[in-house]
Amino acid sequence: MLQLVVRSPMNRSTWITKLITALSVIILLGIWQGGAIWLDAAVILPSPTTTLGALATLVRHKPFSLNIITTVGRALQSFLLIFMVGSFFGILAGYSKKVHAFLVPVLVICKATPVMSVILLAFIWFSSGTVPLFSAFLMGFPVMFVQVEQGVQLISPRLREMTEVYGFSPVRRLVHLVIPSMLPSFITGAKASLSMVWKVVIAAEVLTVPRYGVGSRMQLAQVHLETAEVLAWTLIAIALTALGDLLFQAMLSLPKYILTLRNRNRKVELCN
Amino acid sequence: MQLVGITKGYTVADLFLPVLQDFSLTVEPGTITALVGPSGCGKTTLLRLIGELEPYQSGQIIKVTEEEGPMGYLFQEPRLLPWYSVLHNVELVLRPWYDSKEKRINRALEFLQLVNLEDYARFKPDQLSGGMRQRVSIARAFAYPARLMLLDEPFQNLDTQMRWSLVNAFLTLWKQDQRTTIYVTHDVPEALLMADTVVRLSNRPMQILETLTIDTPREERSLGDPQFIAMQARFYT
Repeated sequence: MLQLVVRSPMNRSTWITKLITALSVIILLGIWQGGAIWLDAAVILPSPTTTLGALATLVRHKPFSLNIITTVGRALQSFLLIFMVGSFFGILAGYSKKVHAFLVPVLVICKATPVMSVILLAFIWFSSGTVPLFSAFLMGFPVMFVQVEQGVQLISPRLREMTEVYGFSPVRRLVHLVIPSMLPSFITGAKASLSMVWKVVIAAEVLTVPRYGVGSRMQLAQVHLETAEVLAWTLIAIALTALGDLLFQAMLSLPKYILTLRNRNRKVELCN
Repeated sequence: MQLVGITKGYTVADLFLPVLQDFSLTVEPGTITALVGPSGCGKTTLLRLIGELEPYQSGQIIKVTEEEGPMGYLFQEPRLLPWYSVLHNVELVLRPWYDSKEKRINRALEFLQLVNLEDYARFKPDQLSGGMRQRVSIARAFAYPARLMLLDEPFQNLDTQMRWSLVNAFLTLWKQDQRTTIYVTHDVPEALLMADTVVRLSNRPMQILETLTIDTPREERSLGDPQFIAMQARFYT
């Protein structure tokens, strides 16, 4: 059976939106370039080309990947910790008002304490490598926790009753009702805490200067007045955050993609 | 099934507010019994007690052997899992009863076919109309090997035509497998056309005002018959 696949041409409005975004990037770069020419001092504001040159040197430099890997490792470790601990306590608090009441002070402290105080205090208590992990955890935990706790409240009591009537075992209820009901909250919490983790980890590295890390390199470059290098590391930090978001999105669309692939194979089988 | 001296109430500020007080009822096995009463009289509460969704303070519910075991419950809303397809929703409740997936799928499809929804098996609930969703829930309740069916105004919130098509879908399935059914409604014509016994109930605390037994076969019933007009009149006086 011959199947005609018609690729839908990119929507006109999508084109326009993309064009506007590109224009915005060009304007920003223009302002940057213009500012650099006007100031005419690379120490204060190096031009985009100088920054790109600094970036190229950084990439060629030996411990480049080690710095990146260390920062990514810290961010991932704290993210995993936030995800597990935040989900665990979020679920507990969602089900029990007593646990919620008990955790309220911890949450208020976590939310209200300035990031810098957390980092400075953590630096007194822990070694420089542990500070980014600990600070990111304290900052990201409330975000995940609140989302998961709200997620528990989103589980429909009516559907729960239906599962009771139809004799669902606790495991079956968890798999078919609780997890699917809470999935959007898990995703929102994970996304929000992940983007927060990057910023806090790098900020903590800047303040505590562990041996390796994007933040440590930024701090060292700043001390040596290598502004182009500071900007280059900042670009790397932005790229890391963007890449993290992209990977996260890809991970989310994976199950849907597999399903589409499976259905397509089924259709091919039917056609044959 | 027999309900003997059931008392159920709620304590509000040290005051016991009874919904059911020493309530007794006999339901013939293998028949449809309609409980008709004003809104808020406690008929839904009674159904929830029978369905073991709520505890009661005193009394006893005695079931005959063929009524023992799982129960099917039709709620006012369809209560389908929105993330699963129609077929998956029906198949899921069969898992403890049939080990083979093929058997479960076949049984689910068989019941979806009986409510004319086999073409929509792969659709998600939110892609269907309200009436279609309720038909899925009827198919689910009958596919489930329940010994007792509890219906809590499942045909409400729908237009008249859809309502009768659902009543017919229900009766078609029920005739094949005559499970003891307790049916709560405040719609008198519907009760008179569906039930073998119609129980007229009072306001809170709920008491039985009258029990009407209808011997006319369902196919021969007509709301225009003098007998049915007289019966209806009793509910509106």
